[in-house]
Amino acid sequence: MNGAEKVKQYSFVLKQLVSREIKRRYARSYLGIVWSILNPLLSMAVISFVFSQMFIRSIENYPVYYLSGTIIWSMFTGVTNSAMTALVDNKMLLIKSKLPTRIFPLTRAVSSLVNFGFSLVAYLIILLVFKIPFRWHTFLFFVYVIGVFVFSLGLGYLLSVLYVYFGDIKHLYSILLSLWMFLSAIFYPIEATPIEAQRIIRENPIFLYVNSIRRCILRGELPTSGEWIRMILWSVGMYMLGSFVFGRMQNKIMQRV
Amino acid sequence: MGKKRYKRKYKKRREDIVIDIQNVSMNFKVAEENVGSLKEFIIQTLKRKNKHRELKALDDISFQIKHGEVVGIIGTNGSGKSTLLKIISGALRPTEGTVIVDRNKVQLLTLGTGFDYELTAKENVYLNGAIIGYSKEYLDEKYEKIVEFAELEGFMGEKVKNFSSGMVSRLGFAIATMRDTPEILILDEVLSVGDMHFREKSLNRVKEMIHSGATVLIVSHSMDVIIKHCTKAVWIEKGKLMMMGDPKDVCESYKNIK
Repeated sequence: MNGAEKVKQYSFVLKQLVSREIKRRYARSYLGIVWSILNPLLSMAVISFVFSQMFIRSIENYPVYYLSGTIIWSMFTGVTNSAMTALVDNKMLLIKSKLPTRIFPLTRAVSSLVNFGFSLVAYLIILLVFKIPFRWHTFLFFVYVIGVFVFSLGLGYLLSVLYVYFGDIKHLYSILLSLWMFLSAIFYPIEATPIEAQRIIRENPIFLYVNSIRRCILRGELPTSGEWIRMILWSVGMYMLGSFVFGRMQNKIMQRV
Repeated sequence: MGKKRYKRKYKKRREDIVIDIQNVSMNFKVAEENVGSLKEFIIQTLKRKNKHRELKALDDISFQIKHGEVVGIIGTNGSGKSTLLKIISGALRPTEGTVIVDRNKVQLLTLGTGFDYELTAKENVYLNGAIIGYSKEYLDEKYEKIVEFAELEGFMGEKVKNFSSGMVSRLGFAIATMRDTPEILILDEVLSVGDMHFREKSLNRVKEMIHSGATVLIVSHSMDVIIKHCTKAVWIEKGKLMMMGDPKDVCESYKNIK
C-alpha cells in the first residue's frame, strides 16, 4: 500500500471503529442520541437553578456561561477518560491486527468529539433562546474546539500508555479531574475566587479555552496575543508530548498487553 | 566466470527464501511480584523489591521458509508459537536477531478479529473487513458473496450476540478468506470451525489458497491437518526449536514426548 491508500484505508477503519463506539453507547437506551442533547440541557437547568441567584450580579446569561464551560469540559473528560482505557480494552485487536496502535486512542477521542457534536444542538438551542447575536467571532468557537481536542488527544495518548502499566491511574485521574474542574471556573465567575486562586486558574489550559469561548460567544471579543500563544503552545505541546511518549513506548506496549 | 555463476546461483537461492528467521530471541520482562498498579509499583520501589525476571519466549530460533512451502508449526500451549507469529507479522520486534520478510505480503488470517456482539452481522462484516484490510469498495462488491459463503442469508440484520458460536465462526471465516490469496498466509487455528459440513467447505477453501502457490504457515494442534497439508513442520518447545523437517517425523516425535 502506498501512502495515500494507507490514509484512505485507515480512515475507513477509523470510521468503522468510531461508528461501533457510538452504536455501542446508545445500544441499550431508548432515547439514544437524544440523551446527548438532553443531558447538558438538564444539567444546565439544575446548575442554573442552584447557582444563578448567587452569581446573578456578576454574570449575565448565566445558563449560556455555564453551558459554554460544561460542554467543553465534558468533551475534555470524555476524550481523556475513554482514550485512557483504549489500549487495554482493545487488547485482542492490538495483538491480532496490523493496525497502527495509535488508531485506538484516536478512535475513542473522535467518538467523544462526535458526542460533543450532538451536545452542540443543545448549545445552539440555548444560544437562540437567550438571543445571543451571531457575529463572525462565533465561528472562532470551532477553532477553540480544535485546540481543546488536540490538547485532550495528547493527554489521552499519555494516559493510555500509563494505563497499560498502572491500572489505578484511572482512580487517580478521576480525583485529579475533580480538582481540575474546580480550578476551571466552569460554574462560577473567576472573579469570585481569591487573587491567588485566580492566578492558578488563569494558567489552567482548560480555563484558557473556555474563557476564550465565552468571550467570543457572549461578548464578541478576541483573546490577547499572549492568550493565543499560550493556547497554541498548550495544545501543540501536549499533543507532541503524548505522541512522542506513545511512539517511544509502542513496542513495549505490545509486549505488555 | 566461476565466481559470477556462483553469485547468480546464490542470488537465486536468496530469492527463493521468503521468510528468513535468523537467531531470533524474544525476552519479556516479567516482574517477580505482579505490579499492575501505581500503588504497588511505588511500594515495591520503596522496598527495593522491583526485580525483573527475564522470560525467554523465544530462544535463538533460526529457520527459513521457501516460496511455496506449507509449513506447520506445532508445540504445546505457551511454547512461543504465537510470539513467533507476531514477530513474523511485524506486531512485535524481537529482542535479538532479525526476520527478513516482506511485511506487505504477509497476511495473518484470524477469525472474527474485532467482532462486536452488540452490532448486527452486516455491520460486523464492514467492521471486521476494515480491520483486516479491505477497502469499502471491496466490501461493497464482495458483501453478497460473503453472506452466501457463510450461509447466513436472512440473518444479516440480526445482532451477532444472538448467533450461535458456529454462525459467528462461519461469518468470520467467510470474511477472512474472501480476499485473493496473499503471497504469505498465516493461519492461526482457523481450521476447526462450524459443523462437519462447513468444516469441509472451509478446508476446501484453505486448500484452494494453499494450492494457488502461496507460502503458508499453519499453527494447529491437529496433527492430522499438519500431516495432510504441510510440506514441512517446525516444532517449538519452551521457546527452543526442537525439530524441523518432514511433518510425519516431527509429529511422531512430538507425540512421543507428549
